[in-house]
Amino acid sequence: MSSQAVHALPIASAFTDDAEAQARFDSMQRYLKWRKRLLPLIAVACLLLLWEGAVRAFGIRPFIAPAPSAVAAVLYAKFGLLMQNLVPTAIEALLGFLLGNAAAILIATAFVYKRTLEEAFFPVAVMINTVPVVAKAPILVLLLGNGMEPKIAIAALICFFPTLVNMTRGLRDVSPQQLELMRILSASPREVFFKLRLLNALPYLFSALKIAASTAVIGAIVGEWIGATSGIGALIIQATYNFDSPLLYATIVVGSVFSATFFGLISWAEHRFLKWNAGRAS
Amino acid sequence: MSVAALQRPPSRPAATTSTAIALSGVGVRFTTERGTVAALENIDLEVRQGGFLTLLGPSGCGKSTLLRVIADLIAPTSGRAEVLGGPPSAARQRRDIGFVFQDAALLPWRTIIENVALPLEVGNGRARPGKRSPRELLELVGLAGWEKAYPHELSGGMRQRVSIARALVNDPKLLLMDEPFGALDEITRDRLNEELLQVWAETGTTILFVTHSLYEAAFLGEEVLLLAARPGRVQERVPVDLPSPRCIPMRETSAFIELVAHLRRVLETC
Repeated sequence: MSSQAVHALPIASAFTDDAEAQARFDSMQRYLKWRKRLLPLIAVACLLLLWEGAVRAFGIRPFIAPAPSAVAAVLYAKFGLLMQNLVPTAIEALLGFLLGNAAAILIATAFVYKRTLEEAFFPVAVMINTVPVVAKAPILVLLLGNGMEPKIAIAALICFFPTLVNMTRGLRDVSPQQLELMRILSASPREVFFKLRLLNALPYLFSALKIAASTAVIGAIVGEWIGATSGIGALIIQATYNFDSPLLYATIVVGSVFSATFFGLISWAEHRFLKWNAGRAS
Repeated sequence: MSVAALQRPPSRPAATTSTAIALSGVGVRFTTERGTVAALENIDLEVRQGGFLTLLGPSGCGKSTLLRVIADLIAPTSGRAEVLGGPPSAARQRRDIGFVFQDAALLPWRTIIENVALPLEVGNGRARPGKRSPRELLELVGLAGWEKAYPHELSGGMRQRVSIARALVNDPKLLLMDEPFGALDEITRDRLNEELLQVWAETGTTILFVTHSLYEAAFLGEEVLLLAARPGRVQERVPVDLPSPRCIPMRETSAFIELVAHLRRVLETC
């Protein structure tokens, strides 16, 4: 058995014949796991303390840079308002994420089966992608009105391109030998797609989805900067104009936490559904 | 078994039931940017059913191409190929052909047992189960207990065993192997060579085995077909006069060493 096969053995049974060594090994593993989780938390706590200390020591006025304690107070006091504004942003980001990625997956499939389509439309996609979000936003507001629609459209557009590129690659990058195998087995085109290409594309798709999870939220927020009365983006603008820096920071915290949660969810799904990819990912 | 029966066949076009493969005047030309390349030219070949023929030759001699013509993966540009008494496409659609690729070609998202069972799932109802279940085949190739593992958890040699089990799941009458052990270390390769001979003895399937290794070609085959390059053509067909069943120590006998020396000499002229 080669060394690769040894790695495959479950770590839990590394010392099957020595209970004491196994216990020591397990506690070491637990320690390393906690250490990995705690270190970034400690770092963040230190930075916040430094910030708090600097604000107090130099007497910086709250509207220039609020102390973390002030931000925390606003987070607590205006929690209802913040959540109320998170809801529309979250809906826009999620719907945009779903729409943009669904469209990208369908179009990538079309590209893989009809090269002509790719040659004709890929440059168009590149061109649309080069337009900055802040420039796309007013155009879409003019086109789609002042409701949620333009924000969803911006979130969708921002998700679309990375998924299109990755998915096209994933569907296409099937090994020639795997295709020959399917031909030996007289597989139908449908079987080649569902049993080979689509599954082969999943790791590529998840890489794109992880990018999209955070960019979709950014898209929705930028969309709200132009003509919105509620939402994280609108609240950012309001707080800035009112010199209400603690609220501005609190709003940013809420938006970031949402974004990170979304990213975490996609990462969890990747971990859950792509167990087989562990060897290639590491 | 008598080696004489395996000698170069008489020029008889029609294949009988005892002939697994009959090629006459097969040629393959590829068109590239720099013009056409003759990968194979005027290949005549007959292989009896149940035989074990190894294909040996320098890179670019068309060994793999020849295997792919027989497997109906490449259509010959000239000549005629008959596999199991009919066109290669019919043999492929009947699932009479098993193919083992150089890099195992397992599907990484399927567990080992699911990989072996793949031929039973795809192919629009052509999936006729063989005598042995995927589980029994895994046992045959020495991988019992690994059913639920994923390919990335296995070593190269183990992956190649899985792909052999997969190729056997439809009880193919013909097993085509394209340098299956080329990427393995020598010890693993030796072990798999012996195991393959066991599989051959147990299943009675016809095997065509492409290799770069003189030792492997001489050790496995009842005969060695030497191909010359540019264009790919048959240089010589060498019968292997070693007792059956074969075992690794046989490679130290003078008969084996002489055979390998002969193969080397022929290969130098290819």
